[in-house]
Amino acid sequence: MINLKFKVENPNQIIEMLSRGSITPVEAIVLLKEIDEKKETTSAKPPGEEKIEDIMKELDNLVGLTKVKQLVKEIQAFVEIQKRRQKEQLISEPLVLHMIFKGNPGTGKTTVARLLGKIFKQMEVLQKGHLVEVERADLVGEYIGHTAQKTREQVRRALGGILFIDEAYSLARGGEKDFGKEAIDTLVKAMEDHKDNLIVILAGYKEEMEWFLRTNPGLRSRFPIQIEFSDYTIEELMEIAKIMVEKRQYKLTPEALAKLEQILKDSQRKANYDKMGNARLVRNLIEKAIRRQALRLVNQKKITREDLIYIKGEDISEIEEI
Amino acid sequence: MNKCIIVGKPNVGKTAFLINFVEYLGVKKLEFNFQLPDGTKLKKKYTYRTALRELVDKTPHKTLSLQSVTVEMPMGKGKKKIQLVDTTGLIDYIHDSEEVRKAISQTISEILDSQIILHVIDGSAVKKKDFFSSPSEVDYQIAQVAHSKKGYVILVNKMDLPEAEEGLKIIKKEFSGNLIIPISAIHKRGFKEVKTFVAYNI
Repeated sequence: MINLKFKVENPNQIIEMLSRGSITPVEAIVLLKEIDEKKETTSAKPPGEEKIEDIMKELDNLVGLTKVKQLVKEIQAFVEIQKRRQKEQLISEPLVLHMIFKGNPGTGKTTVARLLGKIFKQMEVLQKGHLVEVERADLVGEYIGHTAQKTREQVRRALGGILFIDEAYSLARGGEKDFGKEAIDTLVKAMEDHKDNLIVILAGYKEEMEWFLRTNPGLRSRFPIQIEFSDYTIEELMEIAKIMVEKRQYKLTPEALAKLEQILKDSQRKANYDKMGNARLVRNLIEKAIRRQALRLVNQKKITREDLIYIKGEDISEIEEI
Repeated sequence: MNKCIIVGKPNVGKTAFLINFVEYLGVKKLEFNFQLPDGTKLKKKYTYRTALRELVDKTPHKTLSLQSVTVEMPMGKGKKKIQLVDTTGLIDYIHDSEEVRKAISQTISEILDSQIILHVIDGSAVKKKDFFSSPSEVDYQIAQVAHSKKGYVILVNKMDLPEAEEGLKIIKKEFSGNLIIPISAIHKRGFKEVKTFVAYNI
């Protein structure tokens, strides 16, 4: 073959030699390939974006949610296989990925929705994979015609990602004359128009969402995926609390842990637990404890590193009724 | 933006493939971006007919710049933009004209830059040992370089000509292990497979 007399390190030099006419195109390609191979062995690939495995790991790290995790994995596998089938030119199921999330506040609905956005972006199902969180007030207008306009505006923001409608059942609560119905109609039309570029998730309490689907029978078939988020157990909530304080570089003393557990147990018996319980209650308790610890320390003369890290039993206090 | 580069020897039908493939993808306005070897950039709009008339020719080295068209490919839920780049024909020897040499250097650096390579070979010229477009050393070298790329496919062109069937067989043997799609650029044959390939690799 060609005898290579040159040992050049810089690709630009090779290109230069090629345009001067001192080497042939074939020789240029051979030389460039050599440089490329050398580079590959010396430098590792730069870390790209978040990989799908990392996101799945993030999902696995969430406390509890066993059924939800299983379902997300099913969806991910389904999408992957449909893509493969498409490549082999086999008939593939249309990817209808609109979902209904049922569960009390603080059971991880938004967190899971956000992860799904990332997963779908990595799988190239969605272009951007961002999450737009809206509620009734963002969709329903004040006068006739206003609602469609407002709803379309939110849909436009969510294009390429996920439109997450919290407490979606409230759109149907006002009855026949309520503008909420107009929002639903606009939404259904938008889902049709942008079916290649938008995923809609309706979220809310279990009973209310079931009532909502009963009153709007057409919706059920448009949202083929239903995920139920059950309440966390006390053990799971304690696990969440530990992760939360660790992330903030605090630690709980054993007394603080015991007190927290007691408060959580008591709160489960309260009537409004389904409104402000679960992980949200834990977060509120922790944030309050951090403030109370700060208040306790700020007037202390000598503050050690330990003092700054530990949250004591006396810092944990119940949240007053809102 | 993802780049998809079309390479091959002179006169194998790279430009004709680009124009007809873009039309096949359903792009209404054909707008070419020219990037000359000296760095000048130009934009020009064509109809499919004028493009074929002005940019495609029997003389080798009709194309002496990078001429690219941006298209949108359907992808999952949504579309993704990719740039299809047509290049100067590659040869085995040192060309007399400096202009051609510069254009070839430009093409070769573009190959290094791109992740998807569509390598066009003239199926009808395999047995003829025709001077310009028959496969030669440079084709083997392209195939070698392409192993480190994300996507590589050999398009055996001019399948509408009777000699091409046998050419295809030889190429399949010589370039075994690579993905090979027989096409006819002027008759838009085999474009469905090419589209699937591009869509899957972006």
